[in-house]
Amino acid sequence: MEGVITIVQEGRFQLSDERGVSHQFVLDRAALAETEQLRPLQSRQARVRVKYTDASGLISLIAHRIELLGPEAMERL
Amino acid sequence: MNVHPRARDYTQSSLGKLIPDESELTAGVKIEPGKQYGFFTDTTVCIGCKACEVACKEWNNLPADNVGLTGHSYDNTGALSANTWRHVNFIEETGGKGVRDNDQNPFQSGWLMMSDVCKHCHHAPCMEACPTGALFKTEFDTVVVQQDICNGCGYCVPACPFGVVDVSKADGKAHKCTLCYDRLKGGLEPACAKSCPTDSIQFGELSDLQARAKTRVKELHDRGVHTAYTYGTPDGPGATGDMQYLNAFFLLTDRPEAYNLPAAPTRPSNRIAPALTAGLMTLAGLALAAVALMASSRQEPPHGR
Repeated sequence: MEGVITIVQEGRFQLSDERGVSHQFVLDRAALAETEQLRPLQSRQARVRVKYTDASGLISLIAHRIELLGPEAMERL
Repeated sequence: MNVHPRARDYTQSSLGKLIPDESELTAGVKIEPGKQYGFFTDTTVCIGCKACEVACKEWNNLPADNVGLTGHSYDNTGALSANTWRHVNFIEETGGKGVRDNDQNPFQSGWLMMSDVCKHCHHAPCMEACPTGALFKTEFDTVVVQQDICNGCGYCVPACPFGVVDVSKADGKAHKCTLCYDRLKGGLEPACAKSCPTDSIQFGELSDLQARAKTRVKELHDRGVHTAYTYGTPDGPGATGDMQYLNAFFLLTDRPEAYNLPAAPTRPSNRIAPALTAGLMTLAGLALAAVALMASSRQEPPHGR
């Protein structure tokens, strides 16, 4: 799923996709990202791609990998 | 109705920026580092609306869990957990004053409702058990888990005498109420207290809240509710076992157990010395017994002589 991170609280974040629909995520324990990396992504309003799976017994998605998209990703390369 | 004089400065419905020290307008208290803050939950005015639960989940971006019907009256969240930091207990009274009795006092519901939360203990057992220092006391005298330091060992879970702290299966870290640490730093009242329509949850400076609770208990006693008492105030129930006091305390009208609260919580760290002494004494006793047995077997003459 692709979009912009709009809310961050600890390891939880909300992603707004291209249609403006918000999705809630929890960072997986083995995710390739740390909780402290989420807030800069939110403040920069960076476009990201999140690889996720459904969570059992939780109305949320489990984020396994977050990748930067757009010009910021190019700058990094 | 008392309206803070500063409220007249913000009459427009849409504001361009945050109101500085907003808590002064909503809770009548200016939040300053170095002072002690907490919650006073007056269960006698709780109507079980769950606005606190919703406000907490909304602000902290906590996902819904326990999806489905619990079968426990109006309770859908079940208990405090890694994803539920405020939980409204619905206790259906049985016996002499219950809702199913034929004989009832007029205008009495027979239901007890209480919004449970982390107690932000003065001597926090979870903090004492934490090996990484992820749990710490903030400048507002509240207890918070630092997510980037928590290693998910879970020692804090059995250490909490109130069963508040929980390790999330999703991210493998300990979670609990932060008393809206981020809001306090921004001069905002915690979300649950701000959303409470009956002021059952009151936020403020601890000494103020304790004085308020004392007055409220006296008022209830004068009105004939002799069962009212505070749980978690100094030297009261809930502040036993060297706990001293709880920053989030309650006004109750039944036994603590009725609200799923321990009657006499204690600090597990106080049991380390007696447990260690007992263990060492057992070890010493066993060693003595072994030495005595070996000595007696050497003294015995060999068979057949």
